Amino acid sequence: MDKILEVEHLKKYYGQIKAVDDISFYVERGKLFAFLGPNGAGKSTTIDIICTFLKPDSGSVSIDGHVLGKDDDAIRSSIGVVFQDGFLDDLLTVEENIKYRGSFYGLKGKELQDAFDRVVEATGVKDFLKRQYKKLSGGQRRRSDIARSLIHTPKILFLDEPTTGLDPQTRKKVWETIVKMQRDLGMTVFLTTHYMEEATEADYVIIIDNGKIAARGTPYDLRKNYANDSLRIEYRDLPTIETILKTNGIDCRIHNGEAIIPLKKTLDALQILDLCKGEIKSFEVLSGTLNDAFINITGKEIRE
Amino acid sequence: MIIFALRNFKVFIRDRLAIFFSLLSVIIIFALYTLFLNNAWSSALPDGVEGGQALMDGWLMAGILAVVSFTTTMGAYGTMVDDKAKKIYKDFSSSPLKRTSLVGGYIISSYIIGVIMSIISLVFLYIYMMIRDGYFLGWLETLQVFGLILLVTLANSAMVFFITIFIKSNTAFGTVSTVVGTLMGFLAGIYMPIGNFPKFVQGVIKVFPVSHAASLFRRVIMGDLVNKVFLGAPDIYREDFLNIMGVDFAFGDFLILPWMQIVYLIATTLVFYGLSLLIVSLKKQS
Repeated sequence: MDKILEVEHLKKYYGQIKAVDDISFYVERGKLFAFLGPNGAGKSTTIDIICTFLKPDSGSVSIDGHVLGKDDDAIRSSIGVVFQDGFLDDLLTVEENIKYRGSFYGLKGKELQDAFDRVVEATGVKDFLKRQYKKLSGGQRRRSDIARSLIHTPKILFLDEPTTGLDPQTRKKVWETIVKMQRDLGMTVFLTTHYMEEATEADYVIIIDNGKIAARGTPYDLRKNYANDSLRIEYRDLPTIETILKTNGIDCRIHNGEAIIPLKKTLDALQILDLCKGEIKSFEVLSGTLNDAFINITGKEIRE
Repeated sequence: MIIFALRNFKVFIRDRLAIFFSLLSVIIIFALYTLFLNNAWSSALPDGVEGGQALMDGWLMAGILAVVSFTTTMGAYGTMVDDKAKKIYKDFSSSPLKRTSLVGGYIISSYIIGVIMSIISLVFLYIYMMIRDGYFLGWLETLQVFGLILLVTLANSAMVFFITIFIKSNTAFGTVSTVVGTLMGFLAGIYMPIGNFPKFVQGVIKVFPVSHAASLFRRVIMGDLVNKVFLGAPDIYREDFLNIMGVDFAFGDFLILPWMQIVYLIATTLVFYGLSLLIVSLKKQS
């Protein structure tokens, strides 16, 4: 396995607050990796440490073979970062912004122009290259930010809540840009998010809470291990079905004319359906979502 | 470093409002002078003196040239404060750009902006004097003025840099630049000639480096005009005038010579940039 990022026993305390509390994980090259957690879980602090902005209290980080604290400049050359709020210059055009920032990596002349053409193509910012950054819409800004972060063809791209604060349609577009770019360029993408839909599309998810890793795995694994399927039955008569379920010791919740029954195993549904056969108008079996898994793991809703 | 300076330069010149505010105190000095102060000071000269008006205009020109690079470099360093306030520096530090290039880039762009704005002011005042007084500065004097602009901007930008490294928010920056811009006219003896202040304030003015910048400019620009106006008058009048207007500075009987003032400005540059860079590098380690 090819690990592009390896983090071991990372700690960062602010007085009593354990922002990052002994975290270890790795990221495989070329994968889309999601860091999922409620606000204040330690996502941004972890990213800030990996990206050389913050010194950890202890622990080690290596990116593409470069050790944090020793080869910081090499690390900076191999990472791209998209921050929660864009950090481009309001009064400069998108083109000026991308080119100036590109020159920070020692790019110039034809090399810079080629890199510029490439990122413009990959992020679809061509239509507003000559506009001032401050005059762009939220989605255009975000795509410009991503274009800037790609200018030096980083080996790994960090995105800190890249779609937060965008309207749903724009969010979808920006997300598509990220996924397409990740596939086309075969780039490793590390993102933090609190949108389940996004985490679901990742290759690997780590759920972080109170500075600690609460769970990890592919979205499928997490669902399988932490979320239950449920059976929904549209009943004919409420008291009858309640009696049937109660006498058989089955938990249920009544909601909008439906009885919702959590399942330990999907196949358990067959037996329950058999018991209530005469009382069913219709039914469906729903598989557990990542959201259910998240709530089961952290005990809280994600969007606080 | 050069490219980063270019970026700073562009960010500043795109911000019309910032340019206007960086020139505001100079515009106020000019307006106050042409509207009110001019009459007050020139009426102090004996009646019927030939060239009195030109002499006063030269005095104004020197004063403005001494402060314009202070206020405009301050405006230029506003970009640095803004980068701090908006956390744009975070993006810079995600790249392998060296911290020295970053600091160097801010210094270079501010210096260039200070020099350019001084030259623009010079041209404007040159035209003003030409129209009003029919007076031209000679080639040699123009060259000297130009040299002084380069030196004075260096000293001014050093002091401004020292102030701005402590400022973290745009509001604080706005307040500081307003206060500094207003004080500047008094501290450098530009709103009012130094001779009109009480002894204690005179002492403060004489220590302030910008006053010496003003004095140097006055020596060059007013030199010929003074000779013309005081032709045939007793030396004592002329000496009095030079002292009151802050052309010549003296501590007691000790007359300060131009070369001492140049050394003083160079020392100012070294001390303030030295201190600032020391502080900036200490901050980095913590």
